[in-house]
Amino acid sequence: MIRVENLNKHVETVQGRLDILLSIQLAIQYGETVAIVGASGSGKSTLLSLMAGLDLPSEGSVALAGITITDLDEDGRANVRSRYVGFVFQSFQLLPALTAHENVMLPLELAAVRQPRKAAQRLLERVGLGARLTHYPNQLSGGEQQRVALARAFVTTPKILFADEPTGNLDSVTGSQIIELLFELNHEHQTTLVLVTHDEALASRCGRRIRLEAGCIVDASSTRT
Amino acid sequence: MKIISLALRLLMRDWRSGELSILALALLIAVASTATISLFGDRLHRTMTLQAAEFLAGDLVVTSHSVLPETWVKKADQLGLRHARTAGFGGVIFNRDEMLLAGIKAVSSGYPLRGYLKTTTTDETEEVKTNDIPERDTVWVDKRLLSSLDLSVGDEIEVGEKWFRITRVLTFEPDRKGNFYSLSPRVMLNDMDLAATGMIQPGSHVHYYFLFAGNELALARFKKWLKPQLNPSQRIMDVHEDRPELGTALSRAERYLGLTSIIVIVIAGVAIAMATRRYSERHYDMTAMLRCLGAGQTDILWLYCLQLAMVGLCASLVGCLIGWFAQEGLIHLLEDLLPHRLARPGWGAVWLSLSTGLVTLIGFALPPVLRQKQVSPLRVLRRDLKPLPPSSWLVYGLAFSVITAMLWRYTNDVELMGYIIGGGLTAMVLLYVLTLQLLKQSRRLLPVLSLSWRFGLQNLSRQSKSSTAQILAFGITMTAMIVIILVRGDLIETWQAQLPERAPNHFALNIFQDEWQAFAKQLQNEQLKASAFYPIVRGRLVAVNGADVHTVVKEDSQGGRAISRDLSLTFAETVPVENKIVQGHWWQDQKPGQVSVEATLAKSLHIALGDRLTFSVGSQRFDAAVVSIRSVRWDTMNPNFYMIFSAGTLDGYARTYLTSFYLPADDKSALKRLLKTFPHVTILEVELILNQFRTILRQVTLAVEFVLVFALAAGLTVLFAAVYTSIDERIYEAVMLRTFGASRKLLRSSQLIEYMTLGLLAGVLAAVAAEMITWTLYRQLFDLSYRFNGWIWLMTPLAGMVIIGLSGFWSTRHVVNKSPMTVLREL
Repeated sequence: MIRVENLNKHVETVQGRLDILLSIQLAIQYGETVAIVGASGSGKSTLLSLMAGLDLPSEGSVALAGITITDLDEDGRANVRSRYVGFVFQSFQLLPALTAHENVMLPLELAAVRQPRKAAQRLLERVGLGARLTHYPNQLSGGEQQRVALARAFVTTPKILFADEPTGNLDSVTGSQIIELLFELNHEHQTTLVLVTHDEALASRCGRRIRLEAGCIVDASSTRT
Repeated sequence: MKIISLALRLLMRDWRSGELSILALALLIAVASTATISLFGDRLHRTMTLQAAEFLAGDLVVTSHSVLPETWVKKADQLGLRHARTAGFGGVIFNRDEMLLAGIKAVSSGYPLRGYLKTTTTDETEEVKTNDIPERDTVWVDKRLLSSLDLSVGDEIEVGEKWFRITRVLTFEPDRKGNFYSLSPRVMLNDMDLAATGMIQPGSHVHYYFLFAGNELALARFKKWLKPQLNPSQRIMDVHEDRPELGTALSRAERYLGLTSIIVIVIAGVAIAMATRRYSERHYDMTAMLRCLGAGQTDILWLYCLQLAMVGLCASLVGCLIGWFAQEGLIHLLEDLLPHRLARPGWGAVWLSLSTGLVTLIGFALPPVLRQKQVSPLRVLRRDLKPLPPSSWLVYGLAFSVITAMLWRYTNDVELMGYIIGGGLTAMVLLYVLTLQLLKQSRRLLPVLSLSWRFGLQNLSRQSKSSTAQILAFGITMTAMIVIILVRGDLIETWQAQLPERAPNHFALNIFQDEWQAFAKQLQNEQLKASAFYPIVRGRLVAVNGADVHTVVKEDSQGGRAISRDLSLTFAETVPVENKIVQGHWWQDQKPGQVSVEATLAKSLHIALGDRLTFSVGSQRFDAAVVSIRSVRWDTMNPNFYMIFSAGTLDGYARTYLTSFYLPADDKSALKRLLKTFPHVTILEVELILNQFRTILRQVTLAVEFVLVFALAAGLTVLFAAVYTSIDERIYEAVMLRTFGASRKLLRSSQLIEYMTLGLLAGVLAAVAAEMITWTLYRQLFDLSYRFNGWIWLMTPLAGMVIIGLSGFWSTRHVVNKSPMTVLREL
């Protein structure tokens, strides 16, 4: 489902070249759940952004669903994202001017799906926010906002879901609830899940853990045997 | 379709959440003000043109030495134009042994097509307005003819071969020309009696005036059709050329209204640019998210452009509607002051406002919106990633193009546009660099300042580029406001000076050489203040540098007309008041043989300094060398001359004198005494013309005053809106300070200091720019004399401090009243 080959990312600074990722080789199969872990600055989020086509590597390639996205231009990558990818972010990234319902409807509207209203409502009910459809993000708690973000991520039934520290901004109880919900939804939709996290509990729920240190993969073991 | 419906839905959501309100408000102000000013200006302009047309007795007048072809009349009929004609010629009128050279005017039914005649039945009765003409076999004559020939109403006179009964005294004709000294006593008769007088023979010197009136479109079509068919002796008359005193006032008023429209557009443009920038910046997250969800760059561009177009269209439509009602309301309020017959609002003005709204939006709002295309999807992970700023060329180039287009529309003058744009740009670049340096240097002061001053100034100096841009934006708005205040004041002053309360309302012509001193004495005895006495010698220009003048000029031109009739030649020792030497020098010695020529005539006849002009007076000829070219203020009611000679040049030629004086309306007995003592002198009353002129000037003044109030209101609203668009970042910083424990007093005072400094700098900048711009405008556009305005250097910075200081202070007030978290969530 995801194939990463010889991926490098570096940036030029005043002090010289700074390597963020070095020779990353990685393959993630359909339906797999993968956690990318590592210390701050190890390159986790950069790897996620490159795999999702949000950024371009300095060298190497990334293929999603058989399409080498690193060969595509920005619009081409956007097209791949709209067909295969969903996102969940640490800071939720809900649009403040839209209600919870409208936030979830947005990807459906972009994909010109018919009757987006019903599908969005169904997903919001599924995440337990059926009564908060017309609430704006600033009227919701952090946990509720992340639920909306989950609903938005799953509403298009993506093949791959990228999650960047999905519990990073939440307390442990709410975080656990969100993890439960994330895996339930993932199971229901048979999505390939790639998440970046510091949270060992969350990482342990994934089928595979990839540990990064200073931009290199140091461990790519399975968490379940 | 998908993108349109998505754009619409997102737009509705933005509208509901209030994200669009400032942008929409700025646009609404732009369009509503442009619409109000255009509609009101257009109506007043058309009304004034209509009134001015009364001075010609028709909307379009063709002068000719022969009768017009039948096809012209048919064409006018086809286009639904009303028409009439007058025929004017000189003729001798007899009463027993007395005879008098009179100006005979035959008028057809329908005359005057615009305006009215005024008549009385006897000397004592009140004059009445009428649109009738003399019935057949009757004539209307003016008082001078009655007194000169000792006649009264009811008597009969012989005009050519036909006897007529005098039925009324003619006291006012709208189209009586302003060359006062050549006027003879008037006899008006019905056109159908003209042939019976036998006075029109082949070769007779007759001036025909063919008058047409109707709607603008038909007139324009008729004029276009007519122009190629005119022969050299035929000419279309125009209020600007044939009534220069009115034409100048109208042109200035039109230019002022035009200038104000441009200024309102610039003011609103600044607000639109600021509001769109804020709107755009607040949408980076949305764009990044849309990009993440698969929207391409083109989709994003379309999405925002469509939204912008929808906002533009809605705001423009609502703005036009508001403008429509605003001008209707205004006209209702000013009902008593405005003419009764007001032109209807023109659809042209509505379209203009609508397109102005959209063009302004594109010019000022497109660059920040185009920036959305550059938003990286990676921003969802790294919020600090901002798109590259749009190219300065694009931002300023577009705004510049819009302003250029507007200037072109209103001035139609490349040179003038060059001055305004070149001057404006130079001023802005200079001021930008100066302000930037000032802000950078102010950092040195920071360590020695108190905490609140430090916080306040730090905010400005830290982001010196964006602060400078903001100061420039406020400065431009304030500059625009000052310019229209200054121009309005000087325009109105000039108009009032042009026609003071006791402006001369009577002209005395044909005063003989041996009696002008006695005449002056009698005026003095009657306590009537006279202007100078001008000696007049009637003569023609016949050659330029020895060449016949007819070979150097086309007949159908100002020069052509000037050489086909006698000119009033005068001499003077000093330059007459309101004349200005534009080339050469006024004579220092009083050597005979020198002449000063009026500038437009000199241009038309290709006369240059040093040329030798030959004139004929009767059968004699004399030469004079051109030593100066003069510009003349035609918009005063004072006598003006094309040719002024040095003393001695006209010695030996028969001359008469001309003067003007003011006579109070209730002192007609003095006039009778004057006429009795000097029966040969022609007295011409111009009170009615003056009053009509005054009315027009009053309306023009009113328009200018109103437009000023409206533009200022728009400017102030925009200033408030602009302050509001720049507060997000400031609120964020204030909340951070609040979180770290800054006191309410510290926060409020540093905010006040910041905004007041912003206003102060913008005010200083506006004062500099306004002085530069008015200097250019006065010289190039309004032909007014520039003077330094000390007060704006004090008032503008002060006003800037108060307006921007208070509105900024007010906009950020809730930072200290709510919890920091609540404020941050609202951002």
